[in-house]
Amino acid sequence: MSTSLIIAIVVILILILMYNSLVNKKNQVENIFAAVDTQLKKRYDLIPNLVATVSKYMDHEKSLLEEVTKLRSDANKPNISDEKKIELDKKITSALGSIMIAVENYPDLKANENVMHLQRSLNEVEEQIAAARRAYNQAVTDYNNAIEMIPTNFMASAMNYQRKQVFEIVESERQNVDVKKLFS
Amino acid sequence: MKSKSELTDYYYKSLYPVLKDLDKDRKELRSRIISIGFIYTIIFGLITFTIFSYVESMDIVYFFGFAFFAVGGFIYKFLVKDYISEFKNKIIAPLIDALDEELTYHKDLHISELLFNRSKLFSHPDRYSGNDLVKGEVLNTKIRFSDFHAEKRHRNSKGRDSWSTIFKGLFVVAEFNKNFIGQTVVLPDTAQSTFGDLIGHWLQSKNITRGELVKMDDPEFEKRFVVYSNDQIEARYILSHSIMKKLVAFEKHFGHPVHISFVRDHIHIAINYNKDMFEPSVFSSLLEYKTAMEYVDTLHLVTGIIGELKLNEKIWSKK
Repeated sequence: MSTSLIIAIVVILILILMYNSLVNKKNQVENIFAAVDTQLKKRYDLIPNLVATVSKYMDHEKSLLEEVTKLRSDANKPNISDEKKIELDKKITSALGSIMIAVENYPDLKANENVMHLQRSLNEVEEQIAAARRAYNQAVTDYNNAIEMIPTNFMASAMNYQRKQVFEIVESERQNVDVKKLFS
Repeated sequence: MKSKSELTDYYYKSLYPVLKDLDKDRKELRSRIISIGFIYTIIFGLITFTIFSYVESMDIVYFFGFAFFAVGGFIYKFLVKDYISEFKNKIIAPLIDALDEELTYHKDLHISELLFNRSKLFSHPDRYSGNDLVKGEVLNTKIRFSDFHAEKRHRNSKGRDSWSTIFKGLFVVAEFNKNFIGQTVVLPDTAQSTFGDLIGHWLQSKNITRGELVKMDDPEFEKRFVVYSNDQIEARYILSHSIMKKLVAFEKHFGHPVHISFVRDHIHIAINYNKDMFEPSVFSSLLEYKTAMEYVDTLHLVTGIIGELKLNEKIWSKK
């Protein structure tokens, strides 16, 4: 009788520990995502200023600027899912990258103090976003590992925990810089 | 800042006359030490032998054996004191001056206990000492480093004290190029290399004296170091991919365990050489290439930290 009681207690204890560690991992993901979100917002706030400054000079890239503005307003909509945010971040990163490359074509713009200021603040925010993304990816990896590995996977499926998506590096950022193209 | 080869040139060319003189002093000192040591040993042996023939107890022999080394060490220190001081004034000081004019050298000072404790790298020492403080600016970035020896006291049941070393080596403090508010500590990884990834990580995460374990996304770095911080994101903001690569390269280059911490906008690096640096040896020549290179190498490596880690390229909001 007493042996079975001890076994039952041990099993319950293990279940509680597993449950808690899963909840802990899920909360860690949410927690860090909130921090990523704050950093992303910081960047979104720089966009209107950037667009206002460069649009005076840029004639050929109007569509690019419109796209960035649209993406920003999308990102600022309430109640968008985390997956959507990750996707928007990817698009904004590449759009901002293209704008910054386009700036190189306008010597006046490149020398503009306001643009230089924005460029630097963007770089800085960019670096903070990169750090936040890496932290998020690690938290997601820990979480995904836990819900796929034995024995926590049984518990996770009972709790209906789903795999989460990590931030991926935008394809254009991963490619090596083609120097030839830059000078052509 | 001068390059390593320029510095080596300086050591052998500009300092050569001084080195030659000093090496003559060294040879004289060496023969003096040998003859004094010889006489000292004979006298001590005779005294021990005489007393032992009266009181036939092994305790006496142990006691005298201990006293022999203690007094001998004291005499040795007394004999070489002037020579070491001379060496530092005539060789190390000009060498540091030649390396960078913005650096000043103080042979008797060391990093303050406050800075050592602030680094959060080691437990607080009960006794500390050090010398050879170098401070100033390299590439417009503040840096200071010195030899540091921190010890902990252990008291046994009889109330007798013994001392163990917490850290002995070079302690470097420099301004960091990014702003941060939290504390991030990078330690040599012992658990993971001994117990493997899974158990190692688990053990590391159970280290309650440190902050949260931060798993880094550079496999080479993760293998060599373990990171604790009170801010997961800030730790990654500080330890960017490029800085992780460089820290790995540094550790390989130093060839000794390296502890690094980021506290109060400063980087603290403790290199565990386990000996006093910039000290001349009475028994090897100053003109030997190996000896010279050790001084030049260490100096260059430490001051090179700023350029290598790009600590001079301040993030814009820090300018």
